[in-house]
Amino acid sequence: MAYSDKVLDHYQNPRNVGSLDKDDPNVGTGVVGAPECGDVMKLQIKVDDHGSIVDAKFKTYGCGSAIASSSLATEWLKGTTVDAAAEIKNTQIVEELSLPPVKIHCSVLAEDAIKAAIEDWRKKQAAAKGAAAETK
Amino acid sequence: MIHVPAPDPFTVFGVAKSLDLDARALERRYLELSRECHPDLNRAANTADCVAVLQRSAEINDAWKVLRDPWQRAKALLEAKAPGVLDRNKKLDPMFLADALELAEEVAFARDDALAPLQSRLDQALEGDWQQLRADLDAGDLDAAARTLHASHYHRKALADLQAKS
Repeated sequence: MAYSDKVLDHYQNPRNVGSLDKDDPNVGTGVVGAPECGDVMKLQIKVDDHGSIVDAKFKTYGCGSAIASSSLATEWLKGTTVDAAAEIKNTQIVEELSLPPVKIHCSVLAEDAIKAAIEDWRKKQAAAKGAAAETK
Repeated sequence: MIHVPAPDPFTVFGVAKSLDLDARALERRYLELSRECHPDLNRAANTADCVAVLQRSAEINDAWKVLRDPWQRAKALLEAKAPGVLDRNKKLDPMFLADALELAEEVAFARDDALAPLQSRLDQALEGDWQQLRADLDAGDLDAAARTLHASHYHRKALADLQAKS
């Protein structure tokens, strides 16, 4: 089975590989795994005061499609808003990368990672607001 | 042709559904079963019999591959005891996954002098996984056993990566 050119491009030149400070209140971290293939994906977003995603990083241990899916996800996340990011669907990733049916679960993993990162950021924001309200 | 799902490997071998099977007894059983349905000794009277013998022979070989490997055996055991239990427990603790990612990275960038310590760390981790798996099964907690088995896959994969380096 051959990888599409777009998968190969992301695999050979992954965008936004790396880490953000997970303890930063403006950073949301999502770590998800596909245990049947032993894949793990970490995706992080940094959000400004207006709810815009100013930075996104990922690290993925897995096959080419998993790496490409998360690399593409970070490209889409940068510059968008948290609300828009929450709407990203795995099918959009499948379409963009022309993933074959056996690799669809890689795109699902990327969607799960985005959702987990957003949820982590929202939790931190709620906790920060709660703490701010208490000190008033 | 009607598709008949293959029986679980324990049933094929006629052995107890158990994590701990004696390796030698298992091999003896394999040889015994193989002899019984060897195509040369089973001159089929008709085509249907011939197909049945071949199918049985394939089942025995598949079951042998699974049973002889302790981790594959554990996986088959869980599926036999509770179908779908592995699928239902795919969500692992993010903290564990973060560690697994770090471990994979460590293996990928390990230099020669770091290989041996990493190897013994992974051996230890897998030994721990195996004991945990047994404890989960003894406690009758198949969901926990499924998660333990999934977690062990990351250690097994890291070990395979490490061994591919040396």
